[in-house]
Order: sequence, then structure tokens, then C-alpha cells
Amino acid sequence: MAKRRFLPALFLIVVVLLIIVAVLWWRENRSNDNPVQKVSATDEQIARGRYAARAADCAACHTVEGGGLFAGGFPMETPFGTVHGSNITPSADYGIGRWTREDFHRAVREGITPGGRHLYPAMPYNSYYMMSDQDLDDIYAYLMTRPAIDVPTPQNDLPFPFNQRFLMIGWNLLFQNKDPLPAVSSGDSELWVRGRYLTDVMGHCAECHTPRGMFGQMDLAQSLKGGTLGRFKAADITPSGLAERGWTPGDLGQFLATGTAPQGSAFSEMHMVVALSTQYLTKEDMTAMTTYLMGDKPPPPKVAQLTPGGDKGRAQYLNLCAGCHGVSGEGKPNVAPAMAGNATIRQGDATNLIASILDGLPEQAFPGNSNMQSMPGFARKLNDQQMAELVNYTRTTWGGLPGDITAAQIDALREH
Amino acid sequence: MKITTRPITLTINGKKQGPLDIAEGMMMIDFLNEYVNLTGSRLGCGQGVCHACVVIEDQPDGSSHETRTCITGAHYFDGKAIRTVEGHATINDKGEEVPSPVQQAFMDHYSFQCGYCTPGFVNAATVFIEGLKRNPIARDELEEAILKAMNNHICRCTGYVRYYEAVRDLVLKTPGLIRETKNG
Ligand code: FES
Ligand code: FES
Repeated sequence: MAKRRFLPALFLIVVVLLIIVAVLWWRENRSNDNPVQKVSATDEQIARGRYAARAADCAACHTVEGGGLFAGGFPMETPFGTVHGSNITPSADYGIGRWTREDFHRAVREGITPGGRHLYPAMPYNSYYMMSDQDLDDIYAYLMTRPAIDVPTPQNDLPFPFNQRFLMIGWNLLFQNKDPLPAVSSGDSELWVRGRYLTDVMGHCAECHTPRGMFGQMDLAQSLKGGTLGRFKAADITPSGLAERGWTPGDLGQFLATGTAPQGSAFSEMHMVVALSTQYLTKEDMTAMTTYLMGDKPPPPKVAQLTPGGDKGRAQYLNLCAGCHGVSGEGKPNVAPAMAGNATIRQGDATNLIASILDGLPEQAFPGNSNMQSMPGFARKLNDQQMAELVNYTRTTWGGLPGDITAAQIDALREH
Repeated sequence: MKITTRPITLTINGKKQGPLDIAEGMMMIDFLNEYVNLTGSRLGCGQGVCHACVVIEDQPDGSSHETRTCITGAHYFDGKAIRTVEGHATINDKGEEVPSPVQQAFMDHYSFQCGYCTPGFVNAATVFIEGLKRNPIARDELEEAILKAMNNHICRCTGYVRYYEAVRDLVLKTPGLIRETKNG
């Protein structure tokens, strides 16, 4: 008896679920045939929009090397698969040409595009949700007056079930931010308040510099304490984390403006951030950002307690590194950064140091016509033991850190 | 200032050299040019960009690769085996020097003018061809592979085309470097 009543009920549930899924799927995949928007804006508004779009670093993900500005295509590797930045030129069929001002606001702040399609949180709406109307309007005006580039955004490479966008409804229910991100420093000056907005909202720094939980959500209890998204770890950029590695607000401002500072040069994704975004900040906004990052009363930079490194490590250093970084780690302008005082060496977690020695780094240009040469990778030249000796030599000699890196840790970071 | 020296021993062009007392921190290019009178390796940029100074490092497993001697200390090579541009030509039974196939190809194609970059290119092309002997590639991968193998080398004079063509022709006429595929 029970079984006979159970079966039709189950059938009904399955049918209802299928209908819900079908409707959700349809909402995510229908095409947008709203009218094409014509936007006109004053030169001042366009200039403001360009500035705001740079502060928000839109180009990083919405432009691919060799592609048109904002025409999309940048592949962003995530633990769930590869997501591509979309075309945000005013192209009617491939871009945002049919989006109204309100559509644009909603997409940036809530991650939902016209028609109800959900964006993945690779679009940092969980940082942008506090963006001001003024900035959004300016960016909208700026983007909508750029030339339309009619290229489709490449297909994302996400396995099932992550390729089902409607799952983001659940993700948003659980993780969508409503309140400002927790402040990482203390302050109440005007600069600090502006800096908090530039850092947490526009610059969306927390997206890379905050550890993430298993669903890819930012662990806000540890905001800006360092993230682990890619091969390189995004450093701890809380005031104590920065001071620990010798940063001062002045040096930090120099780093964000030029990509180089006594503490080293920007590499990997941070190089892109400087190139596309922070170098364009006004002096005042830069001061605001570093005021927020280090607080109204910045902690003094920690003086590293240096101890001489081991002879074997020193021999490796002289053999393979000194040619560019200098015998005493003094570096060479436009060739290689100094090792003495280098913030990457002073990072307690040696991942970035080891990964850059293993893989090498590409040549990089910096604002103001300066550059750093490419660094060769030494994965083939040094075995795990030799590399551990070298890493430990740099850690004790210039990092003020224990020389406790083991061969096994090197091996774990090799790309086998 | 006290200069610390340590002895090094290595094999260059099949010949054992040393032990020689060499300052720690001396770059290999200086060792080659000044201590063993092998002046064929050229110091160009001195900072790892132009690749004029590369030598061939022979690995115990039979593979070979390039190493820049301007940014690599002499002591790195302690116990290792390398080849420099002086090690390519052979002597025939009449006692004459015979250039290696790579060297001959560069001459046939007029690949160089001033020749400053040539030792580096000879070593790069030799490493490339030795790699193909171990792992032949398909014909349609050849052009890109040449580019990848030679691309780091800078030449001020010739515009690279003649180096490139010399390597391509040599690969195509040397048996065993191109993998046979279904469509030939
Ligand atoms: S001299 Fe060594 S790379 Fe230029
Ligand atoms: S032939 Fe003169 S630099 Fe190449």
C-alpha cells in the first residue's frame, strides 16, 4: 500500500524538479534582445570613467594579450576550471551593447546580467557591490562610448556541475556579501576612508589576497591575510603582514605606482595589476590606499635579524644568482632586484621564492621605461637538496628567517 | 680585500682541465677566456640576454643543453662536462680542420657577418640537432621548433633568416631527425 502511494509522489517530485531545472537553465541561456543602447557622455565623464575603470582594474580580465581593449577573453584559472573574462565593449551581440545603466549596475554589484543570467564570482561582484553610483555611471559611460568589438567571449572550460550557472543562486545565498569587507587596519581619516574604498571595492584586492574556502568563497575572517589561488601565493597585505616584510607606506606607494621598490619588483599577476591599474592612481588616491593598507598609524617596518647563510648555499648563490643579483645581493637596476631587503625572501612561507627559482620569471616592463630581465628557471640545474641549500641561504642572509626549508618541500613544488 | 679561491676540475671539449685555483664568484666566461685560453665564447651583454656566451653542458644521461657563461659561475661547472665553439670541428686524416655540419651549414648560407654571435648560434643549433636525434619531431613541427630553439639568441647583423634557413636545411637533409608520419 505504502509503496503504491510513494511512487506517484516520487514521480511528481521528479517532474517538478525537472521543470525547475529547465526554467533555471532557460533563464541562464536565453539571448538578450533588448534594444541597443545609445549612450552619450561628456569628455569629463568619460575621463572619470576611464580612471574608475582603471582603479577597478577591469582590463585585467576583460582584455586578453593581443586582443582589443575590453573585448574579453582573458583565461582565469580557478580551482573549478577556466573562466574567461567577457566582452564588455558595446557590441550588441557579444558585449554589453544592449545593457541599460540599471543592467550594468546590477551585473557589477550582484553578478546578474540582463535576463537573469548569473556571473561566476570570478567577476568580483563580492567586492564591487559597494561601488558608488557615480563610479558605476562613469564606468558605464566610458565603456559604452568605446568602439564596439564584435568578438564572442570564448567558452568557459568548467566541468559539470560547475558549468551550470544557476548553481550560483545557491552560492550567492550562502556567500554573497552584504556588508563592507572587514577593515584590516584602524583609522578614520578621510584618506583612510577613501583608501578602504579603493582597496576593498575598486581594487578588489581581497579577491586574490584573502584565503578561500572550499566553495571558493573568501574567508573574510582572514581578509587580506594572503591568498593561494595560483602558482604564486598572494602575500599577506594586512598592516602587520606588510610591516613584517619591511614595508612602509611610502615604499608601498612607490611599488604600486612603479612596480619596483627597495622590497623588490612586482611579478606574476601583481605585475599586471600595477601595469593596468595602480600606476594610474593619482598621488592622493595612492596615499589613500597605502594609508588604509597600513592604517592611520602604520606599524614600524620590522628589522630582519640576519644571520650568515651556509657555505653550500652561498656557493650555489655565487654560481647561479650573483651574476645578476650581485655578490652581496645588491641587485642591478633594470636587470634584477636586490635580494637584500627583498620582501619575497622575507615571506615566512617560501612558496613564491621556491617557485620563482624553479620556474624563472619572464622579462617585465615597468612604468617609466624601466624593466627587469627574464630570470632563468633552475629546476634542471639544481637538485632538491642544492635548491634547499640555496633557498635557506637567502632566507637567513637576507630574510632574517630560519633556514628550515627541506628538500621535500622543494620537490613538492616541482612541476613533475 | 681577500679573494677566496677554490680548485675546479672539469672536462672541456673532451679534455680534462684542472684542478685550477679559481676565485669563487668568477663567471665562467672569464674562466674560459682568461684561464684556459678558449676565447671563442663571446661576452656580449654580460647579463644573460644575448646568449652569445652559451656553452653546451653535457649531462650524464647523454642529453645536452645550453648554459649562459656570463651569468653562471665557473665553480658551477666543477665536475661537469661542457663543449665550447672550439670543440666542434674535427681533424681529418690529412690533418685538416673539418667544420661540424652546423658550422658548414652556417658558412654555406652566409649566416653571419661580424660573427660575434656565431659561437652561441653554433652551440644552440648543435644542441637542437642533438635533441632531434634523441626525439625526432614531425615535419610540420620543425619551423616552430627551430624558432623556439634559436629565439633567445641575438644577432645584430644578419636578420636571423640565414641562420634559420641553415638550420632548417641541415635538419631536412640529415636522416633520422624528422619523424615519419602517415602523410609523409
Ligand atoms: S653575454 Fe651572456 S647572455 Fe649576453
Ligand atoms: S653576425 Fe654580427 S652579431 Fe650576429
